Amino acid sequence: MRRMLAVVLGLMWVACAGPAAADPIVAQFWYSFGGKNREVTEAHIKKFNESQSKYRIEGTFQGDYFQALAKIRAAAITKTAPAAFHVVGEALPNLWQAGLLESMEEYAKGPNGTDLADFVPGLTQAGYFDYLGKKPAPLFAVPFFRSTPILYYNADMLAAKGVKVPTTWDELRAAAGKLTVREGDDTKVYGFEVPVDWWFWYGLLHQAGGSLMTADGKKAAFREKGQEALQFWVDLVNRDKTMKQPPGKDYSAWEVANTDFINQRVGMIFTSTAFLNYMTENAKFKVGTAFLPAKAKAAVPTGGTYFVLLKDAPTPQKEAGWAFIKWMTEPEQTISLSKATGYMPVRLSAVNSPAMQSFYKDNPNYKVALDQLKTAQRFPFSPALFDIQREVIQPNLEAAVLGTKTSAEIMATAEQKANEIIGKHDK
Amino acid sequence: MAARRARRDAWLGYALVGPSLALFGLVYLYPVAYSAYVSVFEWDLMTPKRYVGLANYRELWSPEFGEVLVNTACYSGGVVVLALGLGLALALLLNDRSRLSAGLQACIFSSYIVSWVAVSLLWVWMLDPQYGLVTYGLRLVGLRPVNWLGSPSVALWTLVLVTVWKTIGYPLVIYLAGLQAIPGDFYEAAALDGATGWKRFRFITWPLLSPTTLFLVVTLTIASFQGFDIVKIMTQGGPITSTMIYVYYIYEQAFQYFRLGRASAAVVIFFGLILLLTLLQWLVFRKRVQYST
Repeated sequence: MRRMLAVVLGLMWVACAGPAAADPIVAQFWYSFGGKNREVTEAHIKKFNESQSKYRIEGTFQGDYFQALAKIRAAAITKTAPAAFHVVGEALPNLWQAGLLESMEEYAKGPNGTDLADFVPGLTQAGYFDYLGKKPAPLFAVPFFRSTPILYYNADMLAAKGVKVPTTWDELRAAAGKLTVREGDDTKVYGFEVPVDWWFWYGLLHQAGGSLMTADGKKAAFREKGQEALQFWVDLVNRDKTMKQPPGKDYSAWEVANTDFINQRVGMIFTSTAFLNYMTENAKFKVGTAFLPAKAKAAVPTGGTYFVLLKDAPTPQKEAGWAFIKWMTEPEQTISLSKATGYMPVRLSAVNSPAMQSFYKDNPNYKVALDQLKTAQRFPFSPALFDIQREVIQPNLEAAVLGTKTSAEIMATAEQKANEIIGKHDK
Repeated sequence: MAARRARRDAWLGYALVGPSLALFGLVYLYPVAYSAYVSVFEWDLMTPKRYVGLANYRELWSPEFGEVLVNTACYSGGVVVLALGLGLALALLLNDRSRLSAGLQACIFSSYIVSWVAVSLLWVWMLDPQYGLVTYGLRLVGLRPVNWLGSPSVALWTLVLVTVWKTIGYPLVIYLAGLQAIPGDFYEAAALDGATGWKRFRFITWPLLSPTTLFLVVTLTIASFQGFDIVKIMTQGGPITSTMIYVYYIYEQAFQYFRLGRASAAVVIFFGLILLLTLLQWLVFRKRVQYST
């Protein structure tokens, strides 16, 4: 009996330990995509693992961007954080300043490096951030699944009503009016819908000619133009009654807008280029896309995420994470990722490749976001950025549209709070 | 000899409760104590904690937090009153041994065991103001659709209704047990004295159910105070902050805004509130409850 036990234990030990020499280095990668984009991500992780034997990446879905961010911060405390994850740009200055992120300079320029000059300039870390006159931070974020908001329209609906694709705020307003269908008190079809959300507000703020902060980043400076942006929504929703405000917070509202568009309950929406593949596959009508309409100028924020490495991870795992990041941003992968989702390819050679050029010819919608990059606006590289986004702007926009506060009140309070936060970080 | 034996028994007793006591301490007492500790710091989970004394508590003394308290009281009060009233009514209706009653009891109780997430998602779809089932039903009978989750003055009450729908099986079952524990003799005696339906309820059923009612008030209050899932799925505290109830507020402060200190201060206050509420209910009801017959 005892001998038998020894044999069983011995076998178990062998099974657990395995042949040591051929073991790949395993590293964790946390991502924030559900649904279709999750499948695409998982498929690419699998392909990476099959493409070589030195590293193995284990991907885990961790909820939306902000849920994942909470988990990352909690995991960093307990030293259980993954080697690699991806994160929205607005959260980066904070994470970098707290010392959580690994500089990628050495990796990118080392023996297993990548061609940094081949990245699409508007999509890189340097293209995303305005360093506010200070010295730029070293490379710590590599673009992965980058987007801009675009105007989606139901081409059949617009054609039936003889409506032209709007290029200015005024045209958008007129078009929304023509597309709205009412039956008594009921609105059957809304002309326009957009989540009352930070990202779209940031676009409108810049279209109105404003910016979030002063050029040196020492003061918030969005009050006047931010109010103009917010008031545009308030007028469309409450005065014209041609815009639907999708209910729910954060991405719940985005999903409502997408669903309404597909179900033809709305003629035009703003949302991320990331949903292009999903819309095209699910819509039973011709989906058109265009630049966001302009006011004082044409302007658009960029969004999506960046790959980062966590400083606290063991070195071999960080190397595995880097190998994965490098591979995922190679032209071949960035092309297939883009085609499968609608996110932009991040490499110039990918954009200019015959494969992508002929794809754009057949699917012009996919090129809109890329072309729109020429009007892209940067975000201030300020540790206050994330708090301003999440605590000062995002939760307070809704009150104006629902009529419990005026846009002027909201922006006055918001600017004051933003200045307090900037002051706190400056200390 | 006897003393030695008693001591041995005591040790055995401690040894037996030890494991669960240790677990209780680890997953319950320790976190509570740690929250109290964190509540005097400013902490964002990234940069080192900074001692701020009672500043977090002072910051909570704000109209914003007051609104959270009012929301929580309305939600909790609404749920307790409605669930108790409807639960008792249903229990009185279904308190017989017919097959129909048994079937209905099972149906009503089923929603209690379904996950909060599933129930919340289901109701989000049913209550959609443009094409939800409820909206469709209202239109059929010629009523104007209600913006159940999108209107700041309605949303909290919508959550109350959904919560009552979800939890009604619980007071129903407990009340049924309470009703069946009342000896039949009382009703026979009352019938001899000529007591009618309402009088029998007022002077026999209701007083003898008071321990059951106390138990339900305490458990339903605590459970509804801890409501979270339904808010997370259905409204995320919105529109604006109209459905921001206590636990969701803590979650938002901690894991959306990363103000761990402020969130912990709110946890400490919450702990005190629930303790106080339980004591108060116990004191008030102790005098009025008839435990034995």
